[in-house]
Amino acid sequence: MKASRVRAVACKEWREILRDRLFFTMAFGVPLLIMLVLGYGLSLDVKNIPFAVVDHDRSASSREYVHRFSESRYFDLVGYVAREKDLDPLLADSRIRLGLVIPDRFGERLQGDRPARVQALIDGMFPFRAQTTKGYLEAINAEANRELLVDWLARSRGMTRERAVQQVTPVRLQQRYLYNQAIESDWSMASGLMMLVLMVSPPFLTALGVVREKESGSIYNIYASTVSRGEFILGKLIPYVGVSCFNILVLWLVATQLFGAPFKGDPLFFFIASVVYVICTAGIGLLVSILVSTQVAAVLLTMVITFIPAMLYSGLLVPVESMSPDARLQAWLFPPRYYLEITWGSFLKGLGWSDLWLPVVVLAGYAAVLWSVGFLAFHKRPRR
Amino acid sequence: MPLLQITGFHKRYRRQVAVERVDLSVGRGEIFGLIGPDGAGKSSLMKAAAGVLSYEGGLIEAFGVPLDSETNAERVKDRIGFMPQGLGLNLYPDLSVEENIDFLARLREVAPADLARRKRRLLAMTRLERFRGRAMKHLSGGMKQKLGLVCTLIHQPELVILDEPTTGVDPLSRRDFWAILTDLLRDRGITALVSTAYLDEASRFHRLALLHQGQVLDQGTPEEIVSRVPGRLLSFRTSQPGEALRRLQGRYRQLDYDGHRIRVFVTATGEAAALDELRRHLGDLPVRQLEAGEPGLEDVFVALLRGRGDADREGVPRLPVNGRSHRGGEDEVLIEASGLCRDFGDFRAVDRVGFRVRRGEIFGLLGANGAGKTTVIKMLTGILRPTAGSGRVAGADMRRAAGAIRQRIGYMSQSFSLYRDLTALENIRLYGGIYGLGPGLLQERIDWVLEMAGIRGHESDRTAALPMGLRQRLALGCALVHRPQVLFLDEPTSGVDPLGRRRFWSILTHLAREQGVAILITTHYMSEAEHCDHLALMHAGRLVADKTPDALRRELQQEVGELLELQLDHPLEALERLEGQFKGVTLHGNRIHLFAPSLSAAEPVIRRLLADTGVELRSLRTRVPGMEDVFVYRMGLLEREAA
Amino acid sequence: MRLWWLRMRVMTAKELLQLSRDPVLLIILAWFFTADIYIAGSGISMDLRHASLAVLDRDRSEASRELIQRFRPPYFEYQGELSSGRQGIRRLDRGTSMLVLEIPPHFERDLEAGRSTAVQLQVDTTNTVLGTLATGYAARIVARYGEDRVLDRLGVTDQQLAAMPRIEARQRVWYNPNQVDPWFMSISELMTVITMLSLMLPAAAAVREKERGTIEQLAVSPLTPFQILFPKVIAMTLAILAGTAVALFLILFPVFHVPLKGSLSLFFAVTALYVLAVSGLGLFIASISRNLGQVSMLVIVVLMPMLLLSGAWTPPEAMPALLRHLMVISPLYWFIELGYGILLKGAGLAVLWDSVIGLSLLGAAIFGFGVMRFRRQFG
Repeated sequence: MKASRVRAVACKEWREILRDRLFFTMAFGVPLLIMLVLGYGLSLDVKNIPFAVVDHDRSASSREYVHRFSESRYFDLVGYVAREKDLDPLLADSRIRLGLVIPDRFGERLQGDRPARVQALIDGMFPFRAQTTKGYLEAINAEANRELLVDWLARSRGMTRERAVQQVTPVRLQQRYLYNQAIESDWSMASGLMMLVLMVSPPFLTALGVVREKESGSIYNIYASTVSRGEFILGKLIPYVGVSCFNILVLWLVATQLFGAPFKGDPLFFFIASVVYVICTAGIGLLVSILVSTQVAAVLLTMVITFIPAMLYSGLLVPVESMSPDARLQAWLFPPRYYLEITWGSFLKGLGWSDLWLPVVVLAGYAAVLWSVGFLAFHKRPRR
Repeated sequence: MPLLQITGFHKRYRRQVAVERVDLSVGRGEIFGLIGPDGAGKSSLMKAAAGVLSYEGGLIEAFGVPLDSETNAERVKDRIGFMPQGLGLNLYPDLSVEENIDFLARLREVAPADLARRKRRLLAMTRLERFRGRAMKHLSGGMKQKLGLVCTLIHQPELVILDEPTTGVDPLSRRDFWAILTDLLRDRGITALVSTAYLDEASRFHRLALLHQGQVLDQGTPEEIVSRVPGRLLSFRTSQPGEALRRLQGRYRQLDYDGHRIRVFVTATGEAAALDELRRHLGDLPVRQLEAGEPGLEDVFVALLRGRGDADREGVPRLPVNGRSHRGGEDEVLIEASGLCRDFGDFRAVDRVGFRVRRGEIFGLLGANGAGKTTVIKMLTGILRPTAGSGRVAGADMRRAAGAIRQRIGYMSQSFSLYRDLTALENIRLYGGIYGLGPGLLQERIDWVLEMAGIRGHESDRTAALPMGLRQRLALGCALVHRPQVLFLDEPTSGVDPLGRRRFWSILTHLAREQGVAILITTHYMSEAEHCDHLALMHAGRLVADKTPDALRRELQQEVGELLELQLDHPLEALERLEGQFKGVTLHGNRIHLFAPSLSAAEPVIRRLLADTGVELRSLRTRVPGMEDVFVYRMGLLEREAA
Repeated sequence: MRLWWLRMRVMTAKELLQLSRDPVLLIILAWFFTADIYIAGSGISMDLRHASLAVLDRDRSEASRELIQRFRPPYFEYQGELSSGRQGIRRLDRGTSMLVLEIPPHFERDLEAGRSTAVQLQVDTTNTVLGTLATGYAARIVARYGEDRVLDRLGVTDQQLAAMPRIEARQRVWYNPNQVDPWFMSISELMTVITMLSLMLPAAAAVREKERGTIEQLAVSPLTPFQILFPKVIAMTLAILAGTAVALFLILFPVFHVPLKGSLSLFFAVTALYVLAVSGLGLFIASISRNLGQVSMLVIVVLMPMLLLSGAWTPPEAMPALLRHLMVISPLYWFIELGYGILLKGAGLAVLWDSVIGLSLLGAAIFGFGVMRFRRQFG
C-alpha cells in the first residue's frame, strides 16, 4: 500500500467531481434537496382537517358543539351544507375529510337530559389520517361530554361546579413528553432524515464513480498499472467519503438551523459515528459497482437496496418494536436502524459513547464486511 | 527468448468463443501488428497480453513471466504500457492534458524530475504543448489519440500494447502517430504490439498476424504474407464492361468494377503469364490501359478469406451488370452547395464551402477529424441550419424545401443507424413505413434490399447478431428503401473487413452507374478514395482541393516528384540521414518511402548517403503514389502554414 | 393524412417491439408493478401497534392493577413492572420502552376517598406521531377508567345513564371502513411507480436513440419531431397501462383486496392522460441529457419534489401555504386525487371534472414544452 498512489487516484477523482457539473450537483445538491423536500414534505402531523357540517338542529347547543371543532387547531370548518347527500361529493372530491351530521332536536334532547347522537363521516382514504381524525373527534366529544356531565351533576346532585369537576375526573393523566417536549415533528424528521440521506447519497456517488470508469473504459488504466486493488479502492472512495463527511456537516446545520432540531448530545461522538456510517454505506456502493457495469443499472440497484429499507425499515416511520416479525428481521439486517438510534440518541436524547457504543460497533462491523467483500470481489484481471 | 510468447490462447465470453488456438511470439524491438476487422478477437488477445483479462486456455508469457494469475500479471505491469480501444476513452474528459499525464505518471510512480523531462519531450513530439491546459474533452480526435499515446508511454514501458490506436483518425494524424512511434522505437528500443483495422498500415509492421473470427489466418513479415498468395493484380478499361465482367465472372473470384476500371486478381506466376491469361479470357473485347501491379495486403487478405469460403457464408450480393440505364441528363446537378458557412458560437466550423455533384457521380469528401465534413453533410441533409450560403439537393432548395428534400435523399452515418434489437426485416419495414411505402411497393423494395445486401437467410436475425459487413449493407439498404436520387454516406465503412468494404463499394458503383444516384461520401480509407469520381479535400472548414483522383496524383508528382521505396536491412539508422536530404521520408517496417524528383537522379544521392553507415540497400524502385500520399502531403502543407 | 397515420403506426410498432426485446427493461417493469408494490403495501402500517409500556406501580393495589390491565394489545404491549424511576429512564433512553406509566402511592385510597389523583406517563416522542398517538390512547383509557369509577361510585345505573345528557358521536369511516393500510400504501406506491416510469421510459427511449446515433437517421427522414417523439410516448403509455393492469389484477385486487368502487375504464383513461403529461417532462429530461446515467439522475431530482407536492405524504391542508399553492403544478397531485377518487371513493366524472381539466391543461403544457425542447435540438 503506497500513499502516493492512493493520493494520485484520490486527487484525480476529486478533480472530476468538481468539474463534472452533473456529478457535482449529485454530490452536493441532491443530498440537500432530499433533505429539504422530505423535511418539508414528510410531515405526518394531522392538522387543519377540513370538515363540513349538516346542522338539522340549528340551536345554540349545536352551534356550540360545532364551535368546539372549528376552534381546535386540528379542524378547519369549510362550511355548512343543507343535506347529508351534499356531503358525498365533497368527500369524494377530497374537499373535506370529515362530515358532521347533527340531528334534529339535538339541543332539545340534551336540555331534556337525554342522550343525543351525532354522526361523523370520516374519509378513510389515508388510514393513518382517518385514525388520527377519529382520535381527535373522540377527544373533543369526550370533553363535551365531561362538561355535560359536570352540568348534570351540578343540577341533579346539587354539587358545586368545582366539586362536580373533581368528581368527574378522579384520575388525571399527566403527560411528560421526553426528548421532544414541544412535539415538533420537524425535529424528529429532520434528524431522522440525515439517516436517510446518508444511506442513499454515498452509495450513489461511489457506485456511479466506479461504474463510470468501467463504462468509459478508463478503468483499464487501473487494470494495466501497478496500482494495487486496495490502493485503487481506497483512493477512489476517499473523495466520496470526504464529500459525504462534508454533507454530514451541511445536513447537521440544516437540521439544527433550518428545522430547528435541538442537538443535545456529544458533537464529536456524533460526527465520528456518522463517518463510520458513511464509510459503511459507501461500502454498499462499492459492492453495487462491482456487480453492475452500466450507470443506469447502478442507479436502479442502489435505489432499490438503499431507499426502501431506509424509508420503511429503519424505524423512521414505525418503531422497530412495532413491526411485523418479517419487517423486524429486515430492520435488523440493514444498517440504517443502527444509525437512526445514534441520530435520535444524539439529537434528542443527549446520549453519547456510554449508551450508544454498541450501534457504532455494529456499523463498523458492517463497514468492515462490505469493504472486505468489495476488495475481494474486485479484480484487475476480470473475465470480461 | 521472445518478449511476448502466446501459445494456444483461447478466450470465451460465456458460450461465445472470441479467440481460439492462437500462437504468436513478439521479439524484442519488434513492431508486431494484429490486423483484422471488428470482432476478429484482437482486443481480447491484447487485453489478455496486458494482463487485464483472464482467459480460459493456453498461456501468455511476457518477459518470461506466465500471465496465468492476477498475482503473476501484476509482476510485469510496470514494464507494460496498455492503451485500450476507443479514441481517448481511457482518458478523463474533464481533466486537462497535463492533468491526465500527471495522473497516469503518479499511478506509475514516475519521479517528478523524470516526469517533467519526459512530459516536455513527449508533448513536444506530439505538438501538444500548446494545449497543456485544455480539457481533454475539447481536443480533436487526432490529439486525443496522441495524448493517449503519451499517457501510455509516460512510465517508459518496455512493451507497449496499443489496441486500434489509429481507428477513426484521419490519414495525417495516423502518419503522425506512426512517426512518433518510430522515433520512440529508435530511441528506446521499445517493443510494440499494435492492432489495426487499416490494412494499408500493414507495411508499418516488422511482422504481423491476420486475424479473422478469432483465428489467425496467416502470420509473418508483410513480404512473406504477400508472397503466399502468388498472383498479379490487373486492371484495364473497356467500352463493354458488362460483357467483360460476364466473361470473367465465373473464372476469377476477385473482380471489381468501379465504373471506370475493371480490377481482377489473377493467380498466375509472373506478369507476362497473368496478362496472357487475362487476354485469353477476354477474347476479342477491346481493352485499353491494361496494367499489372503487385497485390497489396488487402488483396491477399481478401484472397485468404475467399479461400476459406467465408465469402459464400455471408452471402454475396449479385447485381445485374449492364449498360447505363438511368434516365435523365448526365450532367444534371443533384447536389449543389455554394458559400455554405456554419458557426458554432465564435467557431466557424464550415467556411464558404461550395461544390457540385452530378447524377451518377461518386463524390468523396476527405479531411482530418474536425475539418467540417460531417457538418457539411448535416447541413445538406437538413439536420443543421447553415449560418450562411445556399444549397440545392435533388432539385429543391435546402432552406425552403427541407421536407421535400428529405423524401428524396438517403443517409447513412458512421454508426450505421440501425435498431440493433430489431431484426433485419423489421428494420427495412420500419424505414419503408417511415418513407410511406404502400404494401405492394414495400414488398418489392424489401426483396430488392434483401437481394442487394445479400441478407437472404438472415431476415429474422437480430441486427446486433449480424456480421459487421452485413449490418453495413443492411443500413445501406434501409437508406435506399425509398429509391432516393441522392445518397449521403458519412464514414460508412469504418471497422468493416476488406471483403465487406469491397462488396459495399461494388454496390455503390452499381448505384451510381446503373441507377444514376448521386453519392456524397466521406472516408478515412484512402484506398476507397481511389474509387471516387471526384475528390474534395477539406481543411479547417474550407475546401482546399476539388479534383479527380488522377489529377490530384499528377499534381503531387509535379510538385514533389516520384515516390521511391527503399528496402533496407537496418532502416532505422538510415532514416535520419535521408530525412536531411529528401521530402516525405517515412518508415514502413523494413522500408523507407521518400519523394525525389526522379529515380535516376536520386539513386546516387541515396547510395552515397548510405555508404558510410554500413546499411545495405536491398532494393530501390518507384511506386505510384496513393491517395494517402496525396492527402498527407497536402494536409501537411496546410498544417505547417497554419502553424 | 394516410401517410401521417402510417408513420405513427410503424414508429409505435417499432417502439413496442424494442421494448419487448429488452429483457432488462421488462424485468424492471415486472419488478416495479408487482414485487415493489407488494413490498410497499405489506411492509409497514402507520397506526400504533404494540407500543411498549413499562409500569412503575408505587401503589400495587387492586385499582392500580385494574388500570394497568386496560393497557392492552393491539395498541399497547405491557412489558412488566419497573423497580425504580431510574430504570424507566434507562429503558426510554435505550428505546426499549416507548412509554413509562407511573402510578403514585395511595392511588387506590385517593380514589376511594373521592380525591383527585394523577398518574404520570412518560412518553418517548422522538417519533412524534406515534408519541402523540400513544398519549392520546393512554389519555382515553385513563379518562374512561375515571369515568367508570365515578359512575360506579355515584351508583349511576345503566337506566340512569340513558337519562343523562350525552353526545354519542357515531363514526362512519368511508371508503376504507377498517382502515386497511395496504389499500392506501399499495395505491400510493402504484402511482409513484407510474410516475417514475412515465418519466423514465420515454426519456430512456429517446436518449438511447441519441446514444446510438439512430436519431440522426430519423432526423433526415421526412418524420417531424412530433412523429419521432409521440410514438415513444404512446408505446410507453401502453406498456405502463399494461403494467398497471397487472398490478391491479395480480396484486391490488387479489392480494390486498382493494375495492373497486368507480369505473375501471375511467381510471385507465385518467392514467393514460397522466402518463402522457408526465412523459412530456421525461422528454425534456432526455433533451438535456447525454446518456442514460444522466437521465436516471435527473429523474430522481425531478421525482423528489413531485412526490413532496403530491399530497401522498402530507395532505394539502397540512402544507404550508406556499407549498399548497405549488401543488397545483405537480401532476402527481391531480393524479392521486383522481386515482383515489375513482378506485376507493367511486367518484365519477361529475365530481372529478375539475381535476381532469387541471391534469389535461398541465399535461398539454408539459408535453408541449418537452417536444419544443427536443425540436430545438433536432429541428
